[in-house]
Amino acid sequence: MTQMGFYFDQTRCTGCYTCTVACKDWHDLSAGPVNWMRVHTIEKGKFPDLFVAYLALSCCHCENTPCAMVCPAGAIIKRESDGIVVVDREKCLGNLDCGKACFKACPWGAPQFGQEENAKMQKCDLCLERLEQGQKPICVEACPMYALDVGPLPELRAKYGDCVEAEGFRYPERFKPSVTFKPKKRYQGEP
Amino acid sequence: MITKRSPLSEDDIIIVPTGCCHDCGGRCVLRAHVKDGKILRLETDNGKQPQVRACLRGRAYRQRVYSPDRLKYPLRRIGERGEGKFERISWDEALDEVASELTRIKKTYGNSSIFLAAGSGNQGMLHGPIPVASMLIAFGGFTRIWGVASYEGPLFASMATYGTIRTGNSRDDLLNSHLVIIWGWNPANTIHDPETSFTLSRVREKGIKIVAVDPRYTDTAATFADRWIPIRPGTDAAMLIAMAHVIITEDLENKAFIEKYTVGFDRYRDYVLGYEDGIPKTPQWAEIITTVPAKTIVGLAREYALSKPAALIAGWGPARAARGEQYSRAANVLIAITGNIGINGGYASGFMRAYSSRETTSGTYRSRNPVENGAPPRKNSLYKLRGGTNPNSARIHSAKIFDAMLRGRAGGYPADLKMAYVVASNFINQHPNTRRGVAAFKALEFVVVHEQFMTPTAKLGDIILPVNTFMERNDIAPACLGSPYYIYLNKAIDSLYESKSDLEVVRELSKRLGLPPGLGAMSEDDILRFIASSRGDIPNYEQMKRNGVVKIKLPEPIVSFKEQIEDPENNPFPTLSGKIEIYCEHLEEMNNPLLPPIPKYLKHSESYDAPLAAKYPLQLLTTHYKTRAHSTWHNVPWMREIEPHSIWINPVDARERGIRDRDLVYVFNDRGKIRIPAKVTERIMPRVVNVSQGTWYNPDEQGVDQGGCANVLTDDAHSPSGAHHMNSALVQVEPAEEGMP
Repeated sequence: MTQMGFYFDQTRCTGCYTCTVACKDWHDLSAGPVNWMRVHTIEKGKFPDLFVAYLALSCCHCENTPCAMVCPAGAIIKRESDGIVVVDREKCLGNLDCGKACFKACPWGAPQFGQEENAKMQKCDLCLERLEQGQKPICVEACPMYALDVGPLPELRAKYGDCVEAEGFRYPERFKPSVTFKPKKRYQGEP
Repeated sequence: MITKRSPLSEDDIIIVPTGCCHDCGGRCVLRAHVKDGKILRLETDNGKQPQVRACLRGRAYRQRVYSPDRLKYPLRRIGERGEGKFERISWDEALDEVASELTRIKKTYGNSSIFLAAGSGNQGMLHGPIPVASMLIAFGGFTRIWGVASYEGPLFASMATYGTIRTGNSRDDLLNSHLVIIWGWNPANTIHDPETSFTLSRVREKGIKIVAVDPRYTDTAATFADRWIPIRPGTDAAMLIAMAHVIITEDLENKAFIEKYTVGFDRYRDYVLGYEDGIPKTPQWAEIITTVPAKTIVGLAREYALSKPAALIAGWGPARAARGEQYSRAANVLIAITGNIGINGGYASGFMRAYSSRETTSGTYRSRNPVENGAPPRKNSLYKLRGGTNPNSARIHSAKIFDAMLRGRAGGYPADLKMAYVVASNFINQHPNTRRGVAAFKALEFVVVHEQFMTPTAKLGDIILPVNTFMERNDIAPACLGSPYYIYLNKAIDSLYESKSDLEVVRELSKRLGLPPGLGAMSEDDILRFIASSRGDIPNYEQMKRNGVVKIKLPEPIVSFKEQIEDPENNPFPTLSGKIEIYCEHLEEMNNPLLPPIPKYLKHSESYDAPLAAKYPLQLLTTHYKTRAHSTWHNVPWMREIEPHSIWINPVDARERGIRDRDLVYVFNDRGKIRIPAKVTERIMPRVVNVSQGTWYNPDEQGVDQGGCANVLTDDAHSPSGAHHMNSALVQVEPAEEGMP
């Protein structure tokens, strides 16, 4: 198996949310709490000495999947072929019946639930249909800053480096999220 | 909630190249996936580089097309104007009524009483205001505006300094700079051509230093800048002039360039050094005005003068202010005295339309609009120059339209306006002093509106005609500023409900008005083919239509004024002197202390230190926002959930007022009052607040705007160049008790 993963260049991200909206359009998700792709804003410092970074994050398709481990119904599956973590919504019990175990186990809140009664879990599947046709996921093709990439993790790390942490993202060794970053660092130069 | 994947097999889906061409600063490619006449989803440009990738606005387009709030059929007002009560009528009834009102008003008051409220909501070259204007010219003419809220100050300054609006270099040339200063410019949100932000990233990655000067730590500053210099709004000219002081006193100006290519440096030097008025414009002088430490001004001035070449990009925002043209002029002049014009890596700021894919109106005050025939040039206009804003005096400044509607000829205006024909415009929302705008529209005899949604302006209509969106018609759109490409917007689906295109409406109306068909006789495709053939840089119409975009390959980056610098004998600047005008005689002739022939720092009635600041101590900015293009997309749910509308306020000012993050607050001055949530953030300097423009005016019974429309607070005045005062209002902010006005 070659694990698929995400690359995110945090130094390029302007926090525009194009990835979020392109994802909602492609997967036909209404406005509301369900966001497969999320952009977090990190603001630090006091005027006028500030640091602002954005973190675009969907599902990290972990090697050791915390969500799958806790799912009482075995509805979360890590695919043998490419390590993409998918949810079988037929099997999912719904957020009322299981108390959002997967959501609580995920450090990044990737499992998403709609507002409907006993909503079933949904999340990023790396645009499986597009990958099968040789296309990149919609967020990758959408990013006006070319800050996102998706591919086999070893290839991504060979191409972009193997930095696994970024501003707002700590790497939990026990889960091994399939990510690599170009992190944004605070400017250390002259005032 | 729709949460299902579309289970459709790809075979049934056709992909239609179309686009998103509202007035955001981009014009971008969208690829609509259509099945059975319905758009299922969108992609953007995934063809050859450079790709014209759409931003979040374009990606949300489906929620505009299929919004439940689309206007579905023609409407006639039944209550009081503005009350919002309408009845459904047929197209025949609607068009008959518009034709009969146009005829009655023309007959009773003359053509000048017809005001075309044409907005920027449609940047296509075929639909939107263009066919309506053509029809009204054939009908005998109409009154129109001059003065574009976005850029009139920089446009005027470009004309005065260089004699043209074709300034700036193409974006890729920034990679040749040794220093890039981005002044009041936020392309991460305003786009200013789709490749701009990505280019700034490449500049940064190449190790080229970027400095941002802005009252806010914008997304652009936060992402690209090595250094942020916060500056008090309305004082940018003072800092630029003080930078000139440093450069001149330290002997860093480019003397050979000044000698060869410019006129009037000595006069400017006399002002800067204080020989003219006894006040040397030192960095210490500017520190008190701008709040920027003198040593920072000295440092940036030296850096700019010594980093050769260097690009100073003076954005439009600081010029969207009282005396905004002085800032633009001061920037242009600083660029000239350091010789950063006409060279790779330099940048002649100003209007910044580097590529001529799109020109503004004619060079003279002549007009094919009969109402404007024979009218002399406007006072304070650069009428001796060709290009730029048409100086015909029959036009009314767009900030003064409401006043003109209310006072007419008796108030000194060239016309008594009796009706408004509104197209591609949320006019009252997007012009200063919105409440006055409502009063003015109520004073008219007739208002007809082409619209897709019930905007605050449409609500003031007597007849509302539902028009379709980009995806329901064909059009061509040029790039916003300086990028060499055109978008072909293919019709992806049939017009929804009873909506029609602007062109179809005009054809129907023209018949009723007894006008010759004109362009109406040609098919849409033939008209577009004609438009394309008249451009000169679209080699293959069919290919453009098929691809949805034509990207023009340039052998090298565009450098404005390269010819003028390399061979000045044969290529004079298109100014009256043939040189870059630091001192402009055309301005001197105006003899207007508010339009001096050299750039100066000038105050106004809502400056930070004006007497009014005792009552309203906060300076208001009304910037563009990432989720809207002006007021377009306001009502799109995918956009509204992203960083919801709020007023940015510094923690110092919030604490003084007992305001916590997300509290509802009132923002007010003598012109009006809005209610809006607070975003308490270090990203805006103390004593400055920001309400992004474009949310829809929605007053409660006490007249307090619950929509948070910034123009409730802005002044319907303009500077003599035509610059709007959008970033010059003084306001106060206080906590809002829920339910209490």
